[in-house]
Amino acid sequence: MSSFILRRLWQMIPTMLGVVLLVFFLFSFVGGDPAYLLAGKISNKEQIENIRTQLGINQPYYVQLWIFIKQILTGDFGVSWATNEPVSHIIATRIGPSLTVLIPIMIIEAVLAVLVALGVAYVRGSLTDRAIMVICTVAMSVSLLVYIIIVGQYVLAYQFGWFPVQGWGESFSENLFHYSLLPILLGVAVGIAPNTRLYRTFILDEINQDYVRTARAKGLSEHKVMLKHVLRNALIPIITNLMIYLPSLLIGHFLIERFFSIPGIGREVILAVERSDFPVIKAITVYVAAATMLSNLAADLLYKAVDPRVQLK
Amino acid sequence: MKATIKHLLVCAAIITTTSTTAAIAAKPTPDMNKVFHYQFPVAETGFDPAQANDLYSNTVMEALFEPMLTYDYLARPSKLAPRTADLPVMSEAGKVYTFKIRPGTLFTDDPAFKGKPRELVAEDYIFSIKRLADPKLHSQWRYLVEGKILGIAEAIKTATKSGKFDYNQKIAGLEALDKYTLKVTLEAPDFNYPYILAMPTFGALAREVVEHYGIDIPAHPVGTGPYRLDKWARSSLISLIANPVYRGHVWSYTAQEKGDEELVKAMQGKLLPTVGRIEIAIMEEDQARLLAFQSGELDMFQLEGPLAPKVMDGAVLKPEFAATGAKLSRIIDPEIQYPYLSTRDPTIGGMSKERIALRRAIFLAYDDTEEIRIVHNSQAEALDYPIPPGVVGYLPGYRSVNRTNLPLAKALLDKFGYKVGADGFRTTPQGKPLVIKYTSRPDSLGRQQEEMWQKTFNAIKIRMESDKKKFPEILKAEKACQLQMRTNRWIADFPDGDNFMQLFYSKNIGQSNNSCTDVPEYDALYEKAMVMPAGPERDKLYVDMARVLEYYGAHRISMARARNMVMQSHVMGYKKHPILLADWLYIDMEKPKGEKQ
Repeated sequence: MSSFILRRLWQMIPTMLGVVLLVFFLFSFVGGDPAYLLAGKISNKEQIENIRTQLGINQPYYVQLWIFIKQILTGDFGVSWATNEPVSHIIATRIGPSLTVLIPIMIIEAVLAVLVALGVAYVRGSLTDRAIMVICTVAMSVSLLVYIIIVGQYVLAYQFGWFPVQGWGESFSENLFHYSLLPILLGVAVGIAPNTRLYRTFILDEINQDYVRTARAKGLSEHKVMLKHVLRNALIPIITNLMIYLPSLLIGHFLIERFFSIPGIGREVILAVERSDFPVIKAITVYVAAATMLSNLAADLLYKAVDPRVQLK
Repeated sequence: MKATIKHLLVCAAIITTTSTTAAIAAKPTPDMNKVFHYQFPVAETGFDPAQANDLYSNTVMEALFEPMLTYDYLARPSKLAPRTADLPVMSEAGKVYTFKIRPGTLFTDDPAFKGKPRELVAEDYIFSIKRLADPKLHSQWRYLVEGKILGIAEAIKTATKSGKFDYNQKIAGLEALDKYTLKVTLEAPDFNYPYILAMPTFGALAREVVEHYGIDIPAHPVGTGPYRLDKWARSSLISLIANPVYRGHVWSYTAQEKGDEELVKAMQGKLLPTVGRIEIAIMEEDQARLLAFQSGELDMFQLEGPLAPKVMDGAVLKPEFAATGAKLSRIIDPEIQYPYLSTRDPTIGGMSKERIALRRAIFLAYDDTEEIRIVHNSQAEALDYPIPPGVVGYLPGYRSVNRTNLPLAKALLDKFGYKVGADGFRTTPQGKPLVIKYTSRPDSLGRQQEEMWQKTFNAIKIRMESDKKKFPEILKAEKACQLQMRTNRWIADFPDGDNFMQLFYSKNIGQSNNSCTDVPEYDALYEKAMVMPAGPERDKLYVDMARVLEYYGAHRISMARARNMVMQSHVMGYKKHPILLADWLYIDMEKPKGEKQ
């Protein structure tokens, strides 16, 4: 197990190097020169050169690349070019609001989708199954989050007054139980349809397996068959799906955050791109790349925990 | 004329000194139950007057820091008024301005002051102005002092060489004659410099606070303004609380326009601030702002163009919206939108007759009213003159010779040999292909404006090429005169015509003349006008300059957007000011409004 983990960690180095090169060259060549933005409405060549010197963007590319690599190794990405706020502080203060909304969305969505999928798989072919699948397909076709947010915010928050239209407070409980409820509800509403269909497929794949027939032949109750045998085996692709979603928690959800004025990392990413704020973009990209690789590793380890037959090589 | 201005400034200073003595005699008693909820559509960046480069940070700073001067709240066109100092005494024909700072103005309490009250003095302004020149802070406002205040340019050169700005050095143009008297000497006469000194950028900071907080100074704004920063969740919420040591100011203004009487009746004589707390939330989405206002979470918001069809019926609120008690304060922004064709471009530039005809034909073909209707949802006003309403020098009734006239545009092109080729598009008089490259940003406004121009070029059978660039790249290309055509926009830094006329002066190419306009006749007239005070003589020159630009077809002065501020019925005394950013400093609220009403 430990040699597997070490090998996987070692393999992450060239992958991360690829990410670093891609990010660096993308923003160096197509990201725009931030000195012109920072110089303001009226500026001259000397001022712009001065800013470029201070930002270090007039140095040779290999020097800039080396500085970038050193920043990754030390975890110190400096300060935002637009606000002078330390990048580490930006990430530390914005990640909390994002996770306050996204973790409940992920958990509720996963639990509900698995339960509904189990239910419809159990009554597969019935009117209920077909009706839910039709609803899911229709929901997938129209469930562009932006429409759901616009309608949900208008109807549930403004018309009915059940939730605040937008906002964010200072305490965790106020944010979770007051301001986040509607964003969570809408986030779940969007994600549940495709996931239900997907998980139903995983479960149906298992239901038709020989071991299920054997379990039933042994006289196990349908309840036990579904929850103990079918669900456990269907968990591997479900875990994969969840693990793919996990790194996206780090970049937040800019649509939800913008519509509900949640000071999360998703809004910050959009702001950073608009301001050509390279230090922030670099740091978030690197963190997300690292998180993706680590969550893939975690998924592999979870396979082993869920199914002891899985061999880690 | 110059003597008259000097006399007026001195008189105004005397009058306002008297009135303000009354203002500081009493102490304001802001009601902490009155909370004004406002919003910004874009996140702030920080609260350092030297470093902040965005509208929203500057808006907040206007409530926290105080420049020496401000504007009369109701006067239109905008007129300077005292803030921490009396109106300056001008001497040496606009080259020297002497300010008397009012004693007793205190900075809000801060640990940097070690528990002692800290009075505002002339040296604070000298220090704050020096910060604008410090190359390390790369202040975007440096152009306001470099080459303007005597000795600043040399100080910048020395600091650039040494890598450190010496804040102890004497600057010839900045002199504290005594504790409360500041003498500002300029390199050349500039009658507009008091306007510049009224910008939030020129708010006073205390040196010990800057040294205490170092690089983190944008998060510790310690000023003398009516409010101080209470809480700041970056990019989310800015909470201001009434500054307990603020001297207060009396709402004492004279009605000037229709509707002002009501404001005067409601507010005259009140000692401000009366509102205890200001909460500013960052709301990027139009729908969130509108719904938050309608559900009472906001007391006022700025209505952006895309929301206009839902709320506005032309220039007034829709009846169903007005029926809720909502009120509107609307102005035409002190800005100009001007599509330009570069006079330095090898294909369309130059001063030959056929090039001038080409440029004028393109402008004649463009229908501004259609852009106002379709792109701006009728929330803009067509302009012909380079100086917009609300700015000194504006000339109502002026008509451009390049107003929309499609048949004339076509006739002009035909006359000067721009024939339609076999492919259906015109060629140059020499028979070469004619293609105009229109540059715009890859956002929705850029796309819509590009579509309008595409339609225009199709109508006159000229091939147009789309050139999409990110904003920094556009600026870079403009500074190097590499763009052929673009729609540019300029909003007033201060309310004087010079702020607009300087945009087309060839010596400002690479700085503010982004269209690279290079017309010698214009330059000659501008050089005369720039040393003149505002008045009929300068206005006459400005008309000649506007005509020169039209004849040479360098620009088409197109429009200015409307700014609609929508507020709840309980907001009292608000009127949108064209220059002041934090004009909500002048309001009161009719009933106590708790945090969650």
